[in-house]
Amino acid sequence: MGLLLQKRVQKAMGSRPVIVAAGRTKFGEHYEKQPERLIEEAWLKASEEAGLERKDLEACYLSDYFLPITNKLGLEEGFLSELTELHVPMDVARSFSSAFSNACNAIQAGKYDIVLVGGIEKMTDRWDKIRDDLMLLEDPWSYYAGGTPEANHELMLRAYIKRYGISGENLEKLNTALAQISVKNHLNALKNEYAQFQRKITVEQVLEARKNARRPLGLYDFAPISDGASAVILASEETAKKLTDKPIYVLGSASATDYLTFPSREDMTGFLATRLAMEKALKTAEISLWDIQVLEVYDQSTVMEMVSLEDLGFCPRGTAWKAIFESCKDYKGYYKINGKKLFVNMNGGLKADGNPLGATGGAQIYEVIKQLRGEAGERQIKADERLRFGCVLELEGFGTKSYVHIFGGGF
Amino acid sequence: MSSEPIERRISYLGDRLRGRRCQICGKEYFEIRDYCGNCGRKSFGKMEDIDFFYEKGKLELCTLVNEPTNKFTKLGVYIYGIVSFHNGKIRVPGRLTDKIIRNGETIDFSAFEGREVVPRFRRRYSVEKSEIIPTISLAFTFSDEYYPHQEYHIVKPNKEYDAPGIVGYGVYTSRFRIKEGGIERSVPFIDEDAITAAVEAGKLALIHSGVDSTLVGKVYVGSESNPYAVKPIASKVAQVLKLGEEDEDVQGVDAIDTEFACKAATSMFKDAASLVNYPKMGVPYAMVIGADNSQAAPRDSPGGELDFFVGYGGCAYIFGKTDVIAELEGWYSCTSDTPDFWRRDGEPYPMHGGRFTGDPAYFKHIRKAAKKLMDRLGLKPSDINYFVAHQPNVQFPIRIARELGFKEEQYMPSIQVAKFGNTYSGSSPVGLAAVLDIAKPNERILIVSYGSGAGSDAYSFITTSQIIEKRQRQKLTVKYQAENPFLEYVDYNMYRRLKAGM
Repeated sequence: MGLLLQKRVQKAMGSRPVIVAAGRTKFGEHYEKQPERLIEEAWLKASEEAGLERKDLEACYLSDYFLPITNKLGLEEGFLSELTELHVPMDVARSFSSAFSNACNAIQAGKYDIVLVGGIEKMTDRWDKIRDDLMLLEDPWSYYAGGTPEANHELMLRAYIKRYGISGENLEKLNTALAQISVKNHLNALKNEYAQFQRKITVEQVLEARKNARRPLGLYDFAPISDGASAVILASEETAKKLTDKPIYVLGSASATDYLTFPSREDMTGFLATRLAMEKALKTAEISLWDIQVLEVYDQSTVMEMVSLEDLGFCPRGTAWKAIFESCKDYKGYYKINGKKLFVNMNGGLKADGNPLGATGGAQIYEVIKQLRGEAGERQIKADERLRFGCVLELEGFGTKSYVHIFGGGF
Repeated sequence: MSSEPIERRISYLGDRLRGRRCQICGKEYFEIRDYCGNCGRKSFGKMEDIDFFYEKGKLELCTLVNEPTNKFTKLGVYIYGIVSFHNGKIRVPGRLTDKIIRNGETIDFSAFEGREVVPRFRRRYSVEKSEIIPTISLAFTFSDEYYPHQEYHIVKPNKEYDAPGIVGYGVYTSRFRIKEGGIERSVPFIDEDAITAAVEAGKLALIHSGVDSTLVGKVYVGSESNPYAVKPIASKVAQVLKLGEEDEDVQGVDAIDTEFACKAATSMFKDAASLVNYPKMGVPYAMVIGADNSQAAPRDSPGGELDFFVGYGGCAYIFGKTDVIAELEGWYSCTSDTPDFWRRDGEPYPMHGGRFTGDPAYFKHIRKAAKKLMDRLGLKPSDINYFVAHQPNVQFPIRIARELGFKEEQYMPSIQVAKFGNTYSGSSPVGLAAVLDIAKPNERILIVSYGSGAGSDAYSFITTSQIIEKRQRQKLTVKYQAENPFLEYVDYNMYRRLKAGM
């Protein structure tokens, strides 16, 4: 086989995608900034880290849920093109993870060598209507029946309590465990300069908010509405070598879907899509579940963090609250599960870091990369073994879509 | 602005809770699906239509909504959850309606979960006044409270009558009341209006009659509080109750709204009876509904005197010639141009002159119609078992009944205004229903309606033996609704808020 042909075949066989840099903005309310400014900020941080220029990019993938509604921007590709002064292939997806998966696929297929994945959302620009938008996205029939973005989380908790027959002292422990998730995430966010909320809260505050709301969950159980942007630069293995000495490999990436209407799903105590996606992701990554040391889950509510630990396989169904409760009695910075340390939502999770939908997944990936590279500063975790594997779970809707990515570094 | 096509599709599915069932694997969908997700291609053409409109559901899980999305803010605080049908084969989201949750009231969700619920046809959420009114039946009430679950069984008719008459009827009033001035008046819940009352009444009449809804060839809805100036209530009734043969998504029924103040419905009794009596016309049954969220200006403004009397409710009658419970013996109507009560187009509340109200309006027309009909049929007051008159208040129907020579036992059973208020188009029909609820076979009932503007319709009905057997089918009688232990009393401010609606 001639050298040229060999090169071509190699290229066609593709390459494992590598993250060479990541950047993000602070999450929160950015009423003074245009959305373009936010994405530029995230991109500049990432490009600086990788020492890249705009013209080096071969393609861009952008994610946002609501920009055309919240900001009346026209085609997002247009402002992205203007921002980068590039006329390369650009595509828009909804969640950061879906943009990220598309970018991974393209690199794996050997189509591109350097790709930008950016995510952005500006939810506070439509403060008055965003909850209606969120509900319609989540499930129109639930919206027509009077549902709210909070209601399904509470119904899932009710379903969970019933299915596992949790009552009395155990119910109290479960409710405390959920409060502890929020307290823990706020605590983690104290060390995250980009987090929306950098303040400590107490279990009592969480419980009090629930009592005031007269609902199973209260203000402190839910992620906020946020503005923000995030960016990741992906490269082929070979190109990555030239750009960074701390490559983070995308070892596995998978997704699955489920019914739109939560009530019509067979199992209402977790997310089937997550279970399926995790199974596939682990298979592709060829690692064991227990190799994962750092995990970012999609905690739109404390209930979501709890059930995600079960959906991903870390805890048997119906038991995550016990592990959380025990770990948080004297919280040392991680959950103790199956005798191992699992570091969860070190950036503060969606609860405290913020949840600008299209950018959220980028911030989750950002956190895992920083941890795996040992660049997380004050919040750098100390695992028992050398830190090598991390995992990100991002959901769309109320578990209608689930994305799981497994990252490896420190090789 | 809402989109008309989207609105049409949501309400087509959501008002009736339509779905499909796979005949191969039995999986059910709350959606018109042409194939089953489990069975794939082989299920094409094997999906049967189902709907949950008359079914009993179970509230599986619930929570409280106290920060609703924008369109639901007028509903205030409500319980929202998941309702299952057919032993969990299908689950839908839904909210509880007819429930006022007060500030500080603690909610025990487990006291609600697991209980049986009935789907109720209601307004979905608030929209601008210029928009289409969205409706849905993903609103539920507990079946062990005010509104019981009743199955709808189609009963094959077994007796043909010579004269047309009433084959079934239904009365619907809400579970809320305001009590003042010695009378109780029904108050709609915030998601109710004349349209929802008309549908409810029609549904109850179908249940009571056992008539196959596809055989109803015409429906008339009389109202003076249609929330639309232009757009019939009857079209909604026809579609939700599936009147006439359905072909694709169109019902083979003639549907029309009528308006003549409080006699808009009774006026059509004779039309319905004539239509079903007309040979070879192919209209075995016709439905007449009177429904009103009776309007009144606030007390301190012009026309506000009505605010002491207005009620809410609907009443439906099905006319036909089979399994008749009350045969129509004769009728007489009279009309004069007497402006005693009116509402100009675009005005929210009616005006009430005052000068004409009693005489020559109410009394003159009722007296004329009653006397003429009695003369025609050669009847004396003693030949009549029950007398029913329009009831704007308690005094008027008693005064005219006495004047016409009727005794207390003849007119008192029909007087329901002290229980429900003046239900306008539903007023004398509710009185008639109260009598039909208790009448024995072979009794004569004289009903005389009155509509401002002005006119009266007098009808004489003679009950048949079948009135007894059909009575078993209706739990929601007039008395049941008037003396229900689950009635909830509201104060004046709440009454105005509920009446104003979403």
